Amino acid sequence: MRRKASFFVILVLLLSPFFGAVAFAQVQVRVRAMEASNVGSGFDSSLRDLHDQLGSLFSFSSYRLLKDETVNLSPNQSVSLSIPPERSLELTLINQHRVTAEVRVKITRGGRELLTTLVRLAPGRSVSIGGPKRGEGTIIIALSRMQ
Amino acid sequence: MDVNEAQLISRCQQGDQEALKEIFNQYHQKVFRIAYGVVRQREEALDIAQEVFIKLFRSIHQFQGRSRFYTYLYRMTMNTAIDHTRKMKKAPSLSMDQEEGFQLSDDAERRPDRILDHKELEARVKWAMDQLSPDQKAVLIFREVEGLSYQEIAEATGSSIGTVMSRLHYGRKKVQELLKDYVEGGR
Amino acid sequence: MKSECSSVSKLLDKYFDQEVTPEERSLVEGHLPDCSACRMALDSMQNLRILIKNPVEEAVGKENFPWVWEKIEKGIQRKERLGLWDFLKSWLDVTPLLKRKILIPAVAAAVILILITAPLLYKKISSYPVQSVVEYVESETYNVMVYELETPQVTVIWLFEGLEEESSTS
Repeated sequence: MRRKASFFVILVLLLSPFFGAVAFAQVQVRVRAMEASNVGSGFDSSLRDLHDQLGSLFSFSSYRLLKDETVNLSPNQSVSLSIPPERSLELTLINQHRVTAEVRVKITRGGRELLTTLVRLAPGRSVSIGGPKRGEGTIIIALSRMQ
Repeated sequence: MDVNEAQLISRCQQGDQEALKEIFNQYHQKVFRIAYGVVRQREEALDIAQEVFIKLFRSIHQFQGRSRFYTYLYRMTMNTAIDHTRKMKKAPSLSMDQEEGFQLSDDAERRPDRILDHKELEARVKWAMDQLSPDQKAVLIFREVEGLSYQEIAEATGSSIGTVMSRLHYGRKKVQELLKDYVEGGR
Repeated sequence: MKSECSSVSKLLDKYFDQEVTPEERSLVEGHLPDCSACRMALDSMQNLRILIKNPVEEAVGKENFPWVWEKIEKGIQRKERLGLWDFLKSWLDVTPLLKRKILIPAVAAAVILILITAPLLYKKISSYPVQSVVEYVESETYNVMVYELETPQVTVIWLFEGLEEESSTS
């Protein structure tokens, strides 16, 4: 049993560079859609890591999380998710480097393209897209690269 | 416990997540109400409700039907909410929640008067409730928020009806004293 | 009257919570018209109930619970994955290796392989000059502004409803 385990460990160590290469092919992106407003107060606990960033740019009194999803992006494969209100967000990994990942972001509504952008996501630096109104609030979508 | 609920619980005990979802559909509002009654803050109450149902799924095999299911769930909710408030007291506060002594944030002072009054009142109610012991707070919330009978509260708290009445009486008295500007002679 | 008040006041909580027996109810209701102190005590209890309960009902009314269910499902899956990891860890117990001579050659082999393969894997990835976070933005619907801050590190693409206004939905 010990010999089997030690053989397996050596195998893993020897092949680890290749596992690393495979791991680099996929990028994890966390997508959080929130409603920011000046009605009420409160900061959703799931948005805690964005507190300083959002606070430095905006003076909304309330941030309410509407959607929180993490997607795995493979090169040139698109992943779509629905985003309130009635929009669709499509992410495509265009290029990947050690630290940054180039991701094309498309927002559509009813098949009609509203916005297309190419952003570079790196761990620790989120990119937010905001502005559309929803009732008394404003929708902000925060994209963060995980790892 | 009716047959349907017994079947749901049995399925849940065997790891059926769909059964948990049905239990969630039936009880999520009650769980949220109790959690909110304790923490008086939406995001924390949602965190607690989420934690309760995850805990329930992992520990429901321990439920043997000796008490009613909803009192078992209420007890789990109350314990989770009170544990949560203990942890939050130790961690630095992130949001604009008011601390003891109603130190309102700058953000609050910039709001229109009517919103300020409402938030200040909520802050005082939370502060007053936080002065109670966990047992008194639990009994008060079960009674005032959920409208449970003394018998149901006794089951949910694992105590006697006499203890429930005593905690309710002294809990009410203490909170009334702390909020006397608001409760006496109408508002 | 005084002794009746002291007996009735002990029943007020039960009366307020509708947990009194019929006899107790008659005693309280017979006393209340003549005692403003007991009536005020009941009013206080009612006001307290409103203070405690109303904000809770308001909060429940505003809530979107199906979203909470999604988080619960993910929470359960996350905990199940952790359980699986513990199982794998227990199966692959490497602590005996730390005592064995096999560790040194294994680490040496791994280091040599990494040194050989790393340049091959990373040769296309060289450090490149700092590039902006947003490469381009296209929109026929919105006017767009891009804000970038370095401290804290944040980039925001802000959309102003302009060229063709979208109707906002709640």
